[in-house]
Amino acid sequence: MTKVLAEIRDLRIDVRVTRRLRLRIVDTASLVINKGQLLGLIGESGSGKTMLCRALVGTLNRRGAYIQSGSIDFEGIDLVNASKKDWRSIRGHKIGYIPQSALAGPNPVMRIGAQLAEAVTQRGRKSKDEVRRRSLELLELVQIRRPEVVLKQYPYELSGGMKQRVMIACAIAQNPKLIVADEPTTGLDVTVQAEIMELLSKIRKEFDTSIILVSHDLQLINSICDDIVVMHAGATIEKLPSLKVTSALHPYTHALYDSRIDLVEPRGKLRTIKGQPPSVGKWPTGCRFADRCDFVKDVCRSTDPAPFMQVDDSQWSACIRHKEIYGGAK
Amino acid sequence: MSNYLIEAKSLSVTFNSYGFEVPAVREVDFYLDKREVVGVVGESGSGKSTFARVLAGLQVPTSGEVTFKGENIFRGQQAYPGELRKAVQMVFQDPYSSLNPRMRIINAVTEAVIHHQAASRKDAKEIAHNLLQRMGISATDASKYPNALSGGQRQRASVARALSAQPEVLLADEPTSAIDQSAQSQLLELFAELIASGLSVVLVSHDLGVIRYLCDRVYVMESGLFVESGITKDIFQSPKDSYTQKLIASIPK
Amino acid sequence: MIKQIREYAALPGGFGIIVGVSMFLSISILGFARPLLIPYAPDELIGDGLAAPSWDHPFGLDQLGRDVLSRTLAAVPADIGVAFLGVSIPLFIGTVIGILLAFAKNRVFLSLVGSIIDGINAFPLLIIAIAMVTFLGPGLFNVVIVLALMNWARYARIARTRATIVLRENYVEAARLMGYPRRRIIFKHVTPNVSSETLAYALSDFILVIVIISGLSFLGLGARPPAAEWGSMIADGRVFLGEAWWITVFPGIALCWSAISISLIVEGLSRRDRAN
Repeated sequence: MTKVLAEIRDLRIDVRVTRRLRLRIVDTASLVINKGQLLGLIGESGSGKTMLCRALVGTLNRRGAYIQSGSIDFEGIDLVNASKKDWRSIRGHKIGYIPQSALAGPNPVMRIGAQLAEAVTQRGRKSKDEVRRRSLELLELVQIRRPEVVLKQYPYELSGGMKQRVMIACAIAQNPKLIVADEPTTGLDVTVQAEIMELLSKIRKEFDTSIILVSHDLQLINSICDDIVVMHAGATIEKLPSLKVTSALHPYTHALYDSRIDLVEPRGKLRTIKGQPPSVGKWPTGCRFADRCDFVKDVCRSTDPAPFMQVDDSQWSACIRHKEIYGGAK
Repeated sequence: MSNYLIEAKSLSVTFNSYGFEVPAVREVDFYLDKREVVGVVGESGSGKSTFARVLAGLQVPTSGEVTFKGENIFRGQQAYPGELRKAVQMVFQDPYSSLNPRMRIINAVTEAVIHHQAASRKDAKEIAHNLLQRMGISATDASKYPNALSGGQRQRASVARALSAQPEVLLADEPTSAIDQSAQSQLLELFAELIASGLSVVLVSHDLGVIRYLCDRVYVMESGLFVESGITKDIFQSPKDSYTQKLIASIPK
Repeated sequence: MIKQIREYAALPGGFGIIVGVSMFLSISILGFARPLLIPYAPDELIGDGLAAPSWDHPFGLDQLGRDVLSRTLAAVPADIGVAFLGVSIPLFIGTVIGILLAFAKNRVFLSLVGSIIDGINAFPLLIIAIAMVTFLGPGLFNVVIVLALMNWARYARIARTRATIVLRENYVEAARLMGYPRRRIIFKHVTPNVSSETLAYALSDFILVIVIISGLSFLGLGARPPAAEWGSMIADGRVFLGEAWWITVFPGIALCWSAISISLIVEGLSRRDRAN
């Protein structure tokens, strides 16, 4: 029995902007997630992390995006070529999704109870009592107090944190094996964020669910995830255990880690990453971090595409010079 | 007469919404000294943005007073009347609505320079260019419209506009919350530089890291009240109030 | 120049905009340049009526022997020109009123004017136009008056909604913080951001107004004979549709051409908006 739950290999995602203009938004992204693993996916805006999530949940087409090449294997199922019918049995049942709190949330014109009932019933026939029982059970799981009252409420009556808990309840309703959480706490207060993170950890432990947690906050990912995958300009450029983040093998990961604000004394010099990530459609050839990298050499720009290489059984890097710079994995 | 740059005494702001009274700020006391950086940290709904707007003169308080160098800022028709208006400026949270979308950046800043420094159009444009350059916005970028710039650049352009008034105090309402990581660091560095050259700042934020990095003193706000205040280091190392403790504890390690 | 046009066309919606603009410009220029281009005057009685299209008269002659081509082009100032007036006047009045309303504080005043605006907007423009022109008497001049009196309300609603939003935006607050005088804030900050929406509405309103003008004339309420105007030409030619289709069809094509050209521009612009 393999540990591997899902594997994405060399994924390329394009988006159809106009009839003639296509933009590549994800190029050579690879990642592996194991059963019961909490994987953090970190990247700046424009890194492609949200598109990668959409590919995993099958909602790419809604934005005119499509998979150009590569493979996504989930428990033996090929997600790249899955039909709409296939997705209906996968989405929600095998793969759950928690959206970013500010952007989406419970349907504002439906009561919470109705929304939850939808998530609970999906493709099965359940009696009203069963649905209600399961809904209350889910709300208690996500630590919502007075769940009977909340069932009757509308989203506008709930706080941001509570709404996210409801979304989490919907996501775990069918006991999926994998949950994709796309920046679930961005925009929420820090105390609420801490509680939601605890909740996700609890769910992972109790149900052995794998979770992909997407964020732009390295500290957050580092504090809770087993492993981290770093994305930059559409490519996955490093994968490493969170404990090893200080011995990362890619200059970008180091730069991200070193730019943390709590490392510096008040008003001291911040280690910023110079420049900005290259915008979609204007990606340079070779390593796309080259222009911002302190260790760049000609070979970095001429090797195209920058390969995502396995360094040892837990660490991958896309930096072709990592041996010279860091002397191999520690 | 107050010795402080800005002082608020028993400040309250209550909103009247469809017959319901919503107290946003409840009898708070506050002061900002010269060359100080003071933070107001709180979560959503704490009233910190409303508080900042009162200090800026954009919101009239229900009761209490705010003084600038000892004088009430709300006397007469306008807040900070006359020349006083230049002294306190503000930078807002949302970079997307902080700049007039139909005005090129350089023109927006030039307009401000002309108004405040009574320079000729040509001189003002040059001053504006230099100011934007100092904020890290090149001449090419300055001639663009706001929607062509990133969130971080827009925030820095807003700072440039605020600085053209040569203010003594800059109020910043969550300046880094809506921009991404690298832009945040750049903006914070900019603030650190400005502070080093003599600007007094009131920083309102929910981000404890940012508060710790920039502020000398901190007020912790919850539901319209200041539950704790003191020197930043003390608050972070030994918070006394339970809410403050809860805040500090939720920072990811 | 060609290169720039190509680049513009490549952007989302660009192709539609360029085609639309070309179509509109071509018919407008032809229309206003008619005296220089066509040797026959629009009301000149040339020969036997109902003559089919020929080399001399590509659009044929109508029932009174007038050159249809000449009349079709002569209608441009009437249809397009009057439509332009019928849009720009309400646009101006409505935008000004809308912006002023956004600044008003008196609740009673606001309710009163708001109700008037809502009341006017509740009626379809065409119906009100027919009613009022019947009351005022036919004639293109009266049509413009009716449009100015009634259509401003739609612009006022858009302008007022937008202005209230703009007034809350951070850049207007920043302008207040800067201490800019109110006049400056209104003219340089509020108005440009409001008129972008009212102008967009004006563009699609243009199509409707052209149709209203032609429609009223078709019913006999707009342009009076012998004035050349597409609607009345279509009405005139109705009886002869079997024998002399050209009297109706060519003005009809001109009408469609104008409406479609603006439509393409509007569609292209909205595509561009969506892409951004």
